[in-house]
Amino acid sequence: MAALFENTKCECGHQNPPDTTLCESCGKPLGEEALSNRPLEMRYDGVARRSQKANPNLIDRIWNFFSSVKVAVVLIVITLIGAMLGTIYPQENTFINFDPAYYEENYGLAGKIYYALGLSHTYESWWFITLLVMIGASLVICSLDRVLPLYRALNKQQIRKHLQFLTRQRVTYAADLEGGDEEWTRKLAEQLRKKRFRVAAEQTALLAEKNRFSRWGPYINHIGLIIFLLAVLARAIPGWQLDEYVAVREGEAVPIPETNYYVKNIDFEVEYYSDDEMPDRLKGTMRPKRFETKAELYVCEANCGSTALEPVLRKVKTHDILVNDPLEYKGLKLYQFDYDTTPRLKAVRPVLMDLKSGESYGPFELSILEPESEYELGPYRLKLITRFLDFTVNASGEPANLSSQPNAPAFLFLIQGPDLPAEGETFFYFPIQTDRERFGQDLINGEMAERFDIRVTDMANVEFAGDVSYLNVRVDRALPFVFVGAFISLIGLVMGFYWQHRRVWLRIDDGRLTLGAHTNKNWYGLRAEVAAALRRAGLDVDPKSLDNGGKKE
Amino acid sequence: MKGRERKIIQYVILIGILLLGGYAVGKTLFVSDDDKPKIGGRPPSFENVADIEGNLHSLDDYKGKPVVINFWGSFCPPCVAEMPAIDRQYLKYRDQGLVVLAINLSEDDITVRDFLKRFDLHYTILRDKNRMIEKKYALRSYPTTFFISRDGRIQDIKVGGMTEEDIEQRILKLMEA
Repeated sequence: MAALFENTKCECGHQNPPDTTLCESCGKPLGEEALSNRPLEMRYDGVARRSQKANPNLIDRIWNFFSSVKVAVVLIVITLIGAMLGTIYPQENTFINFDPAYYEENYGLAGKIYYALGLSHTYESWWFITLLVMIGASLVICSLDRVLPLYRALNKQQIRKHLQFLTRQRVTYAADLEGGDEEWTRKLAEQLRKKRFRVAAEQTALLAEKNRFSRWGPYINHIGLIIFLLAVLARAIPGWQLDEYVAVREGEAVPIPETNYYVKNIDFEVEYYSDDEMPDRLKGTMRPKRFETKAELYVCEANCGSTALEPVLRKVKTHDILVNDPLEYKGLKLYQFDYDTTPRLKAVRPVLMDLKSGESYGPFELSILEPESEYELGPYRLKLITRFLDFTVNASGEPANLSSQPNAPAFLFLIQGPDLPAEGETFFYFPIQTDRERFGQDLINGEMAERFDIRVTDMANVEFAGDVSYLNVRVDRALPFVFVGAFISLIGLVMGFYWQHRRVWLRIDDGRLTLGAHTNKNWYGLRAEVAAALRRAGLDVDPKSLDNGGKKE
Repeated sequence: MKGRERKIIQYVILIGILLLGGYAVGKTLFVSDDDKPKIGGRPPSFENVADIEGNLHSLDDYKGKPVVINFWGSFCPPCVAEMPAIDRQYLKYRDQGLVVLAINLSEDDITVRDFLKRFDLHYTILRDKNRMIEKKYALRSYPTTFFISRDGRIQDIKVGGMTEEDIEQRILKLMEA
């Protein structure tokens, strides 16, 4: 058994765990550390990592893997490289309507490879999440393995340390004293107390210490990071994160995807900068100053997501949504994202004109989406044969729709009345003037175009559909935890950055004073502090002379 | 004993990491594909979708039958082109239980009604609204046709128009399964 070969008992009588480099009790250098004369490796006060065992089994090996700082650094570097890959091209989730062909179309072969490798969703990929989980494991295990032994070591420190422990500190001093050893110890203790050290003294030995709490900074930082990581991973829980876009036209209510809510756009308003508010180069352009959606949020109680039945809705919230002033309800946030004020016809009120007699009949209400099937106009009757929303002539020369959106509405009527055949005559009507010319309404209608016209006489007889407001729907239940984690992490960083753990050991053996001091950073400050205390106690020492060399080998 | 306590803590932490991490990694592996219908998987369900007469249909009504779900729009020439062929094949195999559900791409009443007047179709036309079903089926282009076998699994997905020969071959394969 390896443990038998390794004598882990110190000459002071303390039994140390294997791999201890400085005796946990008296501080005597052990093992390889005892063979050199260089300043001591004081990390974790020389205590063994908690999990170091002579005969590790599989679980111990896994534990030891994550317990290694080297492994942690490698994991972090790999994760950083992975995260960088995700920034080369836009990620899938940045598109409202994602099309996989995007990458090849925009970036060629590289884009195709990028998409094929799954780098287009780097941050949701299994390997990236695996890396995060491993970093999380490493954070927990590394910290636990070090903080517990360190806590124990710092909690029960021996005052009188081994001589070598003192002389091999990076700050060390030795001198012969005149006068009483105990009195001198008391004198230095008093000076150190004035410098706000906590001093524990025996007759001829002392230990002075300040700002020990700064040693816990890194571990508190790690606790914060773990909370942060857990919060990020928690976004995978159903219902914890949502990032969707909805388009709502004024007066309409639409379902919010993946939720039980509907949002209604009561009114949308946009205000533009006037020319005198803008620099010359922007004059004459439409720059929005402020846009606002008066919105109502509904919860659906029945027939939700049905294509045929009317959903039963209950209003739960009203809010005027502005940029950065979202509608909020139970963790759901609706942000103003974009708008579309492109006019779209809703209805027209045209008249039927008899061009021969100059008489006009009407006006009549012609809704684009829901027209009547018949209109009685004076002696004439208009029967709607069919209507197209986005008129086009297809490959076989027939009228057809180009899309399901009312971009180019067209009505085919059958006109019956005096001086017309009993079965009537057909008449095409394009309400939008440009369509009328583009598709040649008069040409299609032929002779009928000379007898009749359907026209809108006044802009007041044109009704437009409301503006479309685009809202970004967000749920992020993990966010408060992310902030808590980040805040704790910040506290830990401040603790570790702005304070230093300083310790001074002193022992006097028959008139010979030996002093050693240690800190985790700002050695200059420590030397100045020690030298000042020594000077006040009667020993004039140049701070620089305390320097025993560092780790600059 | 201290060693035993330590061991228990080690096990608890490692199991905790395994569970949490396994859940997080597992989600990325399985869930992202789950919501998109794929061959061998189950088709997204839909309930109470109206046909032309206003009768309501649910996908569950056709459990145990071979079902062809065809998405179409009057504005999509290849969709229109394949409709008569689908109808002929439907008439040929409907006695053997074949069901065809042709889901219109959220067009308005008049468009659908007037369009269908020009055809004499015998299979069921369903009306989607606000692209709700279309989104469930993660449609990217039209037409798209799903072939669902008697065991309720997607046997095949065809994106784009089909010739009559193509349709028949696929239906025969569907009837065999």
